[in-house]
Amino acid sequence: MRSPSTRCIAGTAALALCATTGIARAVTLEVTAWKGNDAEPAALPELIERFEAAHPDIAIDFSYISRTDTDIVLPPRLQAGNAPDVMMTDMPLVKVWGEAGLLAPLETGDWYERLDPAVKQAVTIDDQVHVMPLEIIGMGNFVNMGLLRAAGIDAPPTTIDELKTACTALADNGVKPMIFAGGFSAPLFAIANGLEHDPAAAPALGTEEVAFEDNQAFIDTLALFPQLVEAGCFDPEVQAGVDPWSTGLAEFKAGNFAMMPQGAWNIRDFSSVDGLDFVFAPIPSARDTGVALDLFGVGWSISSQSEHPEAAKAFVDFFTDETHLQALLEAESAYSPFVDGASGMAALAAPYDEARAAGGTILFPFGVLHWPKPLEAEIFDSMTGYLLDLDQDPSEVLSRWDEIVEDQY
Amino acid sequence: MSAGVGRRGRVVRLLLSALALVLVGLILLPVAYMVMMSFKTGTEIVQDPLGLPGGFYLGNYANALSKMGYARSVLNSIGITLSVAVLVAFIGALAAYPLARRTNRLSRTLLMLVALGLATPNFVTITPIYVIFRDLGLLDTYLGLVLAFTALNLPLAVFFYTGFIGNIPIELDEAARLDNCSHFQVFFHVIRPLLGPATATLSLFVMLMVWNDFTYPLLLLTDEDKFTVMISVYRFVGNHNLSPEDLFPAAVLGSLPLLVLFLIFQRRIVSGVTAGAVK
Amino acid sequence: MGNYRIFLFTVPALLVLGTFFLYPIGLSLQLSFTDFTGVGIPEYVGWKNYERIFTRSRYLDALGVTLAFTLVVVTVQTATGLFFAALLHRLPAVRDLCRAALFMPAMMSFVIVGYVWQFIYSPFEGGLNSLLAALGLASWQHSWIGDPDTALFALAFAHIWMFTGYTTAIFLAGYAAIPQEYDEAARLEGTSGWQRFRHIEVPLLAPSFTINIVLSTIGTLKTFELPFIMTRGGPDGATRTLSLHIIDSLFGDYRFGFASALSMVMLILVVVVALVQNRVLRAREERAR
Repeated sequence: MRSPSTRCIAGTAALALCATTGIARAVTLEVTAWKGNDAEPAALPELIERFEAAHPDIAIDFSYISRTDTDIVLPPRLQAGNAPDVMMTDMPLVKVWGEAGLLAPLETGDWYERLDPAVKQAVTIDDQVHVMPLEIIGMGNFVNMGLLRAAGIDAPPTTIDELKTACTALADNGVKPMIFAGGFSAPLFAIANGLEHDPAAAPALGTEEVAFEDNQAFIDTLALFPQLVEAGCFDPEVQAGVDPWSTGLAEFKAGNFAMMPQGAWNIRDFSSVDGLDFVFAPIPSARDTGVALDLFGVGWSISSQSEHPEAAKAFVDFFTDETHLQALLEAESAYSPFVDGASGMAALAAPYDEARAAGGTILFPFGVLHWPKPLEAEIFDSMTGYLLDLDQDPSEVLSRWDEIVEDQY
Repeated sequence: MSAGVGRRGRVVRLLLSALALVLVGLILLPVAYMVMMSFKTGTEIVQDPLGLPGGFYLGNYANALSKMGYARSVLNSIGITLSVAVLVAFIGALAAYPLARRTNRLSRTLLMLVALGLATPNFVTITPIYVIFRDLGLLDTYLGLVLAFTALNLPLAVFFYTGFIGNIPIELDEAARLDNCSHFQVFFHVIRPLLGPATATLSLFVMLMVWNDFTYPLLLLTDEDKFTVMISVYRFVGNHNLSPEDLFPAAVLGSLPLLVLFLIFQRRIVSGVTAGAVK
Repeated sequence: MGNYRIFLFTVPALLVLGTFFLYPIGLSLQLSFTDFTGVGIPEYVGWKNYERIFTRSRYLDALGVTLAFTLVVVTVQTATGLFFAALLHRLPAVRDLCRAALFMPAMMSFVIVGYVWQFIYSPFEGGLNSLLAALGLASWQHSWIGDPDTALFALAFAHIWMFTGYTTAIFLAGYAAIPQEYDEAARLEGTSGWQRFRHIEVPLLAPSFTINIVLSTIGTLKTFELPFIMTRGGPDGATRTLSLHIIDSLFGDYRFGFASALSMVMLILVVVVALVQNRVLRAREERAR
């Protein structure tokens, strides 16, 4: 039986031991993001290490939560007062969570002034900013130059006519020209071409002011689909069923298709495939340059319930520093949201870069809240439906888009 | 029961057995496919989808195991599943006793309430449960998850037991009552020992459901150490850019423990199902 | 009075059921009249959500999809279960092995089954298409889940594949409850296997039919996992069940109030179907006696 004094000493020693190990990190920040896993690291693991080295008193507890799971898992936590300190968000989330008061307004310091004007406008809702933008990422046309050259084409097509020519040449050469998945590739093409004539019309289309079904630009764009089929670009019924997130990617990587509209975040994955000779080009359109469809994708937001607001702010500010952000941009093959920022784009994205420089940039309407988020799913669905039956009247298809917009009000 | 006697009967039985085995084999083809694919390298999968793997490539498994926290999640799953099975059997049987022995209006109303529980889709209850758990401090706890699963399986358990107890002759109850046993003693000493087969069947269904569910743990658990096997699989495979080299080993690993458990306890469970609750 | 004491036994179960079912259903009902987004404060909007449900064709379509899916699954699954049970009942040698094997698909979760079957159905180099090509049936190749005409059946097939083991097991249990004398008497009278099946076994299996049909109907009406994982409701809504609409509204669109209204509609549907089925099948059971 131990004497009380021995037990007392043992207890104090244990306490002291705990205290010492505890002092190493005073604050633990919980951070969630839909990047940072093996498939899309975005350099987050290294950047988090760098941050912890620079801030010895803050430990980062990082969790990868996919974008779909974010919708499922975070809202109950936010509602229950149990939210992570820092969360990766995009504008649709900022709108819902910000309006409910669940995101802390960010101090618009130096970094805010440095933002690209279009981005600055997008992130400011009612004079408040709830998200620190991390990247602008391109969505364009992946082109397998190896297959194109074998069919006698030297450059990626940037106009519709060039596209048709390329398709015919490829088809004659026994190569399947294009992935045009209804669930992503076709919508990218449709949105890029529909908005190209008048990008400024985007916000009006997203409200009940202007209807898609009366918009000539979009009607003409949809009328292009049968023409592309005739030029041999794709088999619409097959493409309607291609999953753009698994089958489509696998097929392009295997060299079975020559072209595929998709996002630049795939560049890193495609680059790791031996012998895949590809470039990242703009989406072919009526304009000479093609369309560079930029997506303002992700940013950091701070929960309004966070118990460590200063530490959270330090984390967010860390990413406004060029040296750190650059690592992320390069891993993602993205552009900086800042005016003076460098780009993380690889050389094989030169055609896309050129399109941007020549003024062919359009901001993806969902990323900047010009169009309501539910419309995105409807566009994916209706493009699939259209591919399954190209005899439909484009106005009819577009009226589905209008119906969804109406539902928001 | 035999299909017939004599030589002709034997031949017919042999043919039918062969037919049964063939059909069952066909049904298991996808499982075989899954196992086979898990041993192929990425390039083999794309180039030769149906062929047997060149060698037994273990790289996919090594990769999956290193990233999935497998051992820990298996222990979690087993612990949670067993706890739920025990709780559900006990509370369910207890509640079924009066419902089986009395047919008055109260009993019928309660049974309808239970039926309502069976008919409710689980996504209706997800967010209110989250809020309740937050208030009770049950978020991200084993206890909370066990309670949630118990609730989900309770309606089925009550129905099973009500039917089964209904088949137990009421004379046994009455005999014990004559000996001045309380209701609880009757339940504990007379009814409970006879519930074996029903409990076996029910446990099988409960275990299958709890082991395989991923919506509740996804929502209610945030600590990685507490993850169940299915959540590990789900997190590992992701739902973006599915890669077959990840998918198939994870799929095999996810199903394996349950399969092993089933094979071990097969005789007991299956005899339970045979003898069991048909009402 | 002593009569009611026994109902104390139900208290633990009622506590659990009340907290986990009655309260959430009540809450859902309340929220169905608001425009709650899942976060923030809900605002009352009256019947607007319900109006939208019954005036937009997409929800009626989803109802059709749900009912069609359920009908196909329940019918085929019950028939298959009965077939295997009838077969295995006569083959005691392989019965245990086959029953265990049939249960294997049920031991794989929806996540696994969904992803694996998605691979099998893949249009390029998927398992099924490759198999057809290898068997010389390349003309039968198809985009199974990409074609709206076949997508629902493809999903149904995967679902049936998963759960046939359950129906077989329940029917086999039902067979075990048939007294041996009936079969022996019939055999002595020289009836054929088929006649025994039709006139003795099927009627006496009535309770098993009831269990199987009711359970699988309720389960299939509520299910969302396979459509969620395999097709996300595509192509273009061909596999978008009502439950999938609820999931999309809840987690994608942040229209919590609307999702609650849909859930209420779904709950009523399931309850009504279950009640009707139960009444019809119980009546059949009585007749069979």
